[in-house]
Amino acid sequence: MVPFLLAFVVLSVLTPWLTRHLGRRVFYLIALLPAGTFAYTVTQTATVTTGGAVTQSIPWIPQLGISLSFRVDTLAWLLALVVTGIGALVLVYCARYFTDDEPNLGRFAALLLAFAGTMYGLVTADDLVIMFMFWEITSVLSYLLIGHYTHKRESRGAALQALIVTTFGGLVMLVGVVMISVASGTTSLAYIVANPVTTQMGTWAILLILVGALSKSALVPFHFWLPAAMAAPTPVSAYLHAAAMVKAGIYIVARLAPGYADSDGWLPVLVTLGVWTMVVGAWRALRQYDLKLLLAYGTVSQLGFLMIAIGFNTRDTALAGAALLLAHALYKATLFLVVGVIDHRAGTRDWRKLSAVGRSAPALAVIALVAVASMAGLPPLFGFVAKEAVFTSLLDAGVGGSGWGYVALIGTAVGSVLTVAYSIRFFWGAFGTRKQQPATVLHASPWDTLLAPGVLTVATIGLGLFASVLDPLLTPYADTVPGAGSLTEAPYHLALWHGLEPALYLSAVVLLLGVLMFRARRGVLRLQAKVPDYIDAGRGYGKAIRGVDRLAARVTHFAQRGGLPQYLGTILTVFVLALGFAAFVNRTWPDTIVWWDYPGQVLIALIMAICAVMAARVGQRMTAVILAGVTGYGLVALFAFHGAPDLALTQALVESITLVIFVLVLRRLPANIAQHNKPVRPKRRLLIGSLVGLVMGTIGFIALGARDFASIAGALPRLSVEDGHGDNIVNVMLVDIRAWDTMGEVSVLIVVATGVASLLFVSGRNAVVPRLKESRSLRSAANRRRVVADPELSSEGHAVTRQAFILAGRKNDPRSRSILIEVLVRLLFHPAMIVSIYLLFAGHNLPGGGFAGGLLAGLALVARYLAGGRYELSEAAPIDPGKLLGLGVILAVGMAVVSLFFDGVPLESAYFTATVPVLGDLSFGTSTIFDIGVYLVVVGLTYDILRSLGSEIDRQSENDEIGPRPDTAPEGASTTPEEVTR
Amino acid sequence: MTAMVPLIVCLPLLGAAAALMLGRRRRLQVLVSVLSLAAATVMSAVLLVLVDRTGPAVVQVGGWEAPWGIVLVVDRLSAIMLLISALMLLGVLLFAVGQGVVDGDTETPVSIFHPTYLVLAAGLFNAFVAGDLFSMYVGFEMLLSASYVLLTLGGTGARIRVGITYIVVSLVSSLLFLSAIALIYGATGTVTLALIAERMPDLPADIQLILGLLLLIAFGVKAAVFPMSFWLPDSYPTAPAPVTAVFAGLLTKVGIYAILRTQTLFFPDNQFSMPLMIVAGLTLLVGILGALAQADIKRLLSFTLVSHIGYMLFGIAIGTPLAIAATIFYVVHHIVVQTTLFLAAGLIDRVGGTTSLSRLGGLLGSSPLVAILFFLGALNLGGIPPFSGFLGKIALFQAGTIVGDPIIYVLIGVGALTSLLTLYALARAWNMAFWRPKQQIKDYTASMSASLVEDPQDEGIVLKKTISPLMIGATTSMLVLALGLTVFAGPIFELTTRAAGNISSPSTYIDAVFPSGTGAIENSNVGTNFEGGAK
Amino acid sequence: MSASLTLVIVMAVMYAAGVYVMLERSLTRVLIGFLLVGNATNLLIFIMSGRPGSSPIVTGTSVEDMVDPIPQVLMLTAIVINFGITALLLALIYRSWWLAQLGDEGDTLTDEHATESADEADTTFLSSSDDDDAIAESLDEFERGDGATSDEDTVSNKKDAASRAAASASDRGDAR
Repeated sequence: MVPFLLAFVVLSVLTPWLTRHLGRRVFYLIALLPAGTFAYTVTQTATVTTGGAVTQSIPWIPQLGISLSFRVDTLAWLLALVVTGIGALVLVYCARYFTDDEPNLGRFAALLLAFAGTMYGLVTADDLVIMFMFWEITSVLSYLLIGHYTHKRESRGAALQALIVTTFGGLVMLVGVVMISVASGTTSLAYIVANPVTTQMGTWAILLILVGALSKSALVPFHFWLPAAMAAPTPVSAYLHAAAMVKAGIYIVARLAPGYADSDGWLPVLVTLGVWTMVVGAWRALRQYDLKLLLAYGTVSQLGFLMIAIGFNTRDTALAGAALLLAHALYKATLFLVVGVIDHRAGTRDWRKLSAVGRSAPALAVIALVAVASMAGLPPLFGFVAKEAVFTSLLDAGVGGSGWGYVALIGTAVGSVLTVAYSIRFFWGAFGTRKQQPATVLHASPWDTLLAPGVLTVATIGLGLFASVLDPLLTPYADTVPGAGSLTEAPYHLALWHGLEPALYLSAVVLLLGVLMFRARRGVLRLQAKVPDYIDAGRGYGKAIRGVDRLAARVTHFAQRGGLPQYLGTILTVFVLALGFAAFVNRTWPDTIVWWDYPGQVLIALIMAICAVMAARVGQRMTAVILAGVTGYGLVALFAFHGAPDLALTQALVESITLVIFVLVLRRLPANIAQHNKPVRPKRRLLIGSLVGLVMGTIGFIALGARDFASIAGALPRLSVEDGHGDNIVNVMLVDIRAWDTMGEVSVLIVVATGVASLLFVSGRNAVVPRLKESRSLRSAANRRRVVADPELSSEGHAVTRQAFILAGRKNDPRSRSILIEVLVRLLFHPAMIVSIYLLFAGHNLPGGGFAGGLLAGLALVARYLAGGRYELSEAAPIDPGKLLGLGVILAVGMAVVSLFFDGVPLESAYFTATVPVLGDLSFGTSTIFDIGVYLVVVGLTYDILRSLGSEIDRQSENDEIGPRPDTAPEGASTTPEEVTR
Repeated sequence: MTAMVPLIVCLPLLGAAAALMLGRRRRLQVLVSVLSLAAATVMSAVLLVLVDRTGPAVVQVGGWEAPWGIVLVVDRLSAIMLLISALMLLGVLLFAVGQGVVDGDTETPVSIFHPTYLVLAAGLFNAFVAGDLFSMYVGFEMLLSASYVLLTLGGTGARIRVGITYIVVSLVSSLLFLSAIALIYGATGTVTLALIAERMPDLPADIQLILGLLLLIAFGVKAAVFPMSFWLPDSYPTAPAPVTAVFAGLLTKVGIYAILRTQTLFFPDNQFSMPLMIVAGLTLLVGILGALAQADIKRLLSFTLVSHIGYMLFGIAIGTPLAIAATIFYVVHHIVVQTTLFLAAGLIDRVGGTTSLSRLGGLLGSSPLVAILFFLGALNLGGIPPFSGFLGKIALFQAGTIVGDPIIYVLIGVGALTSLLTLYALARAWNMAFWRPKQQIKDYTASMSASLVEDPQDEGIVLKKTISPLMIGATTSMLVLALGLTVFAGPIFELTTRAAGNISSPSTYIDAVFPSGTGAIENSNVGTNFEGGAK
Repeated sequence: MSASLTLVIVMAVMYAAGVYVMLERSLTRVLIGFLLVGNATNLLIFIMSGRPGSSPIVTGTSVEDMVDPIPQVLMLTAIVINFGITALLLALIYRSWWLAQLGDEGDTLTDEHATESADEADTTFLSSSDDDDAIAESLDEFERGDGATSDEDTVSNKKDAASRAAASASDRGDAR
């Protein structure tokens, strides 16, 4: 079975390509595959009829118990024959139905072939999950096939509708599938059926699976998708929506019936819905003018009929159901194919526009007549045999004491009356002669157009006549259903003639009433018009879908409306609620409370708290920034008093540079933060803010008191001195013990530098830093003393110094220069750089290190820039910051990688100690190189920031790339009025 | 073998440095990026095989013993995450290169994109290998800062706006994470995962509740868990296609990874099962309803992304080894499929000129290849058999059914409903973008057809947005990978089951990091006065 | 372990103030909020190092009363990362202001795109429900009996059809 499935996959994939070469003849080619599968299945007949089964299994996902196992027993054999046989015939039919210039023919052929394969897999799969997989694939393929005419709205809509309805059922079924396989510990269908799960879980699982079956087989209340699906090309309707896919639901019910037909809810659900479906479908079929729709509603009706028969819990009904299934597949596919021919030849399916079709296409009419008669249940056709069997077995069940047997019998009888009526109406409508209409002329069709319907018709007649030959083939399945057929008689057998028994009389009555009903069709139609519309499931579906859409729109609008403040507010509210709750229920509090460590702490804390609150309230940007800065400097003080000199140093430097950058950016922004932002729910913000503070403080306090363990820090002094060769534990940790984190941090910095550049230069980080044109030559020693005249500025009478001390000074507007500051900065620059390098190297034993050093060097650069402007900056550091950053990272990361080659462990330092004048004893190791890398990155970052937020902003403002200077702009010019405040 | 663990992080960083140094030499930069990610991919593949055979790889960085130094731990879960993210990063990089070749790098400027992208990769890898809570934080910061830059590439108004939303939300989550680290250090006196895992059960349950919740919230924001998920659909779709793809595929999964890691390691009794269940259900439902209300494919996909995070939370909440195995499988599946779909959306953008459903049409005819890529991806995401999405889902359902609590059944129902609605949203998108002919688009005008091939933003220059074979190739390979997850579901599931077995008992992890026990740590404090133990 | 309550309180105040400003729509305020909350978080880590003591430098001081260095190390890393992020945010603020000068929205946050996209979604999905209506129409077409000359059945169910048309119209109205 697996090789055939693989062949289906491969051939389907190839089909579009084949179609390009073969045109519609490709259908003949691909029909060979289902035909071959049919033949293969026929060879299994001997095994199957003796009650055996052909199995095959390949493990797939053992953890979930899923394996590719297949098993052909009687039921699977029957269904496999139906789907492959009709599949092959329909494909042959397609070769005539379509023309070579039909658009998307390749896609269509591939999908139809894939569908045949999927159906084959579905009916032969033994693994429940695998069966479900094929089940869902048929839904998807049906979606694609129904939507074949993609330009038609109704095609697309119907496709989606069918997909949603059948997938809905499928997913409900999936839950059932999982439940039953968990409950029985296996996914093998054969095992699950042979050893039914009788727990409540099993009952629920079966009911859930039934929902899937009902939706797939278009039973009320899911039936509406099937008529809509008639938007598909007719071969699709014939195959998917009459013979194969809609039978999947029947199949799974038939499959489970031997084990579960007696479980709670099974019979009531199936019989009630079956009868309802049968009657409603037939009732609606009676008023259709579209031949295809008439058949579609007829199919709905027959599916209800089938569900009753196959789902009923006796051995005889099972046999009857299997026969009915086959009969229905044969005549319904035939009728669809016939309608397809009429539609194609006459150009309409509305029978009011047709006349005398029977006369111009007698062969077609004969085929249709046989099929219709089988549908109506006329002897000697197979439809009759099957219907007789159903009536008899239901009657027996009723006599046997099952109330549901009578309900089902009466229901199916009523349904059959309607069936007879619409069957006649179909034939009369399609082939009858109407006086008002001109005779419809059907052009002669090639003989093979009728091949497929013809073969099916022969089968309908043959099986009817030789029903008793078929009987032993089907009984092995029926015998698996435990319910006794009848109490008194021997097991039922399929046969054309059973003698004068009650079912025969019933059939006769049904037939008579059906004919009468057709005769009285005007009256029936009037009656139909008067009967109020029952609950229209199709419209209900539409309402449900739109309801979901509306709900989705509302929920989403509600959730997404507020933008950032709302998102943040939500997150913080979650924080407050969750942790507030946790803090509230907490019973573990610290046992000692210290109010302050030293009195000064209170003062610092007070200042910090006041500044923090004020920073949150003031309207001026700069003031707010400075106030926030004070809290940072407050930290510096706290750190310094607390025994954290490294922290204090770094925090001070960071705070200073941050302030400068703030100034650089904010100089271009309006002084006041736009005031219209005020009314954004200040009370709520205040509430969230205070609660966050409160909760965070509380849980911090709690966590602190919870420590039961020694900090791991105890071993650090020893580790630091002995193995890290440094006295400053913090620095040793940064560059050695925890250097891995520092490496990560350094990479954050290079990203930030790149990001800042990206935001300012937009198209890349390689924008050229403006430099003096002559600067290169100016730097070289030979030209050191040359007087360089700047033509631009000399005309203004600006004195050019002989030795350009402030190298870029001449580029600055003389009015805004302060020589004093420039000189001071210039003088301090080099000492500052030296100190920064000292910090870098001293850090291992004293406060300092790469960060502090780098930040100090950065500050020096900042000073140069502030004093001398952007040209001065590029003179002070005539190197691409990208190179600095890159080099720094290479040093830092490189140390990690290089040490890998030495002893297999990254970032392990190698040392030598040297005594350097001034600095004293220095241990120089790989960790020092690491620290140099850090230093370079920090300098590079500062430089990149200055270049972007300093120089580039200067350039943009000088070139007036953007509006007026903000200090002359009216208040609030930077911001549009706040419309969205709520 | 252990050398590879740090190398996986270091190589992309060196690549980033080299890309920075190379300045404006584009081709070399591209070469460096591709090579370093390819190397990382190969190494993580080798690592996965080795780890699977011989147990967790533990590296004490710099030779410093845990808990003082930093340990990198690669167990099966980490190795799986490493491999799958390396593959995605490489694939998306190739896509981006392909796009850059066609566009002349206007969307993704080489000198910014490549170093940043590599740091993003390094950060991801770092987060996955971290055996130390603070290292994990640093890894997060690396990938987040890189994501800030990538999201605001080009600096257009829209990107800046959403960039700010994204950045601020991420910052808040980072600060919460940092607070959690502070509290955990306060309570346990260490940041090494293995030692926390050892000490956590001894803490009072009250404290465990506080620490666990704080971690969950911090990671929940990153993983986009309801109700902390609203930011995501606003942020992701605006970025360039490759960036969105990598964000969607990987970034939220880091949050999931962190939840998975910390929950299984610190709270093996699964104390947070109930709250996780509830948010999982809400994430599933609210997320998918959001997807239904979208008219833009990228936004729609972003909402499905949020929604499906719920499945993973559900698995974590069930907490049995089978559920964890299913979760890991689902994570892998989702990474691949979301990335593929976003790349496909990028292709749609290029062939259709927009990703808005109200203006797309007829793509099935005009670009069948894109159609197939999108359709198969969509089925996979919707959990339609036989694709991996279905397998992950059924595994979760199975794990849940075995436990069989009433709330789990509710969750299974919600999960099935979400699957249906996902399919509905995607099929509707398909109906409109691929099936509906252009003529049926409301207010369709002929002039619009011109804009479908031209960039309307490009002043004067008519720029045809073509698709390079590299872009198609990258997307197709991802799809093939996704299909591979289906075909080889058996072995992969075996692997994730073993991975789940690893993390289901914290002792495996603790023993790997401290092979000779943790007794020595307690005795190492002689002679010092660091507070603690005083209580 | 214990720490001074003063520090805990000032941390809480900084969190509160920081969150309060962070929830505003002005980017500068958001940034200030970030600075405050960032500093508060650093303080929280700092608090976890316990009571003050001598600096963790081995030379000179006795190991006895040294402060726990680990929180310091973590903080140093956090401080530097926060510094980088601050710079990035400033660049964003500048960029956003620059765009505002060109007519974009400036350094405040808006969310009008949310409503925009909601509107677009509405109109788009009408198209989808139009497809559903198309099915209903195609199914009803023959039942209504319009446009065909039948030899019978003129009774048809016109009233029925009319009421349906009305129903479907109201449906569409609702959806909008």
